[in-house]
Amino acid sequence: MVPHEVFAALADPTRLDVLTRLAKGGPATATELSVSVPVSRQAITKHLAALDAAGLVDRNPSGREVRYSFDPSPLGDLVKWVEGVGDTWDRRLERLGSTLE
Amino acid sequence: MDESRFEELAGDVVVERSVVLPAGPDSIWEHLTDGDLLGDWMDGEVTIAPRPGGAITLAPPDGPVVWGTVEVVIPERRLQWSWRTDDGLPTQVEIDLDPAEGGTILTVRETLLPWTTSGLQPQWTDWPDRRAFLSAVA
Repeated sequence: MVPHEVFAALADPTRLDVLTRLAKGGPATATELSVSVPVSRQAITKHLAALDAAGLVDRNPSGREVRYSFDPSPLGDLVKWVEGVGDTWDRRLERLGSTLE
Repeated sequence: MDESRFEELAGDVVVERSVVLPAGPDSIWEHLTDGDLLGDWMDGEVTIAPRPGGAITLAPPDGPVVWGTVEVVIPERRLQWSWRTDDGLPTQVEIDLDPAEGGTILTVRETLLPWTTSGLQPQWTDWPDRRAFLSAVA
């Protein structure tokens, strides 16, 4: 699978900021994040939804709020994507080489 | 994930391969710019209009169609295009030919073109602050 949602999620500076805070500062709620990231709580919630869709955060209910934590596993998918592209070119160039021989 | 992996992602996301082919650049160029010949080694049905702005499509036997635009055509030297699948990542492919002893060196680079989804239309943009983020979480 091509993890384009992961790239898209990482492409926004505010989302990257939110994710960096979760990665460095540990799990937090949208309210807690809105204290340290200079955008509205609603905007934070929207960014967290995008990060959730990309699998970059885990949601854990905490009282009436949801506590979010950083999930690094999709970054491994990016590595796999890069490796898949490399394998494809290896096969193509091998075919081209035998065709030209 | 180890640190070299983070380094890889922190820079441009690029795949590069180089091979020496036992043929001259004229013959290889034909295999790059003729749709049927290109399809034989790319593995799929290929259409290509080998001029800047021309269309290129690849329909692989087992995957979605990749479509895009030819960007650079320098006969027997360099071919470049950008393409994507409908819901996949846009990438740029650069193929360079250089003379070598006993043949020609072909170098291919496929680079991810970062994008954001603002609204429904993907927008091609810089991927900001990747290095800062990746070094922060590594």
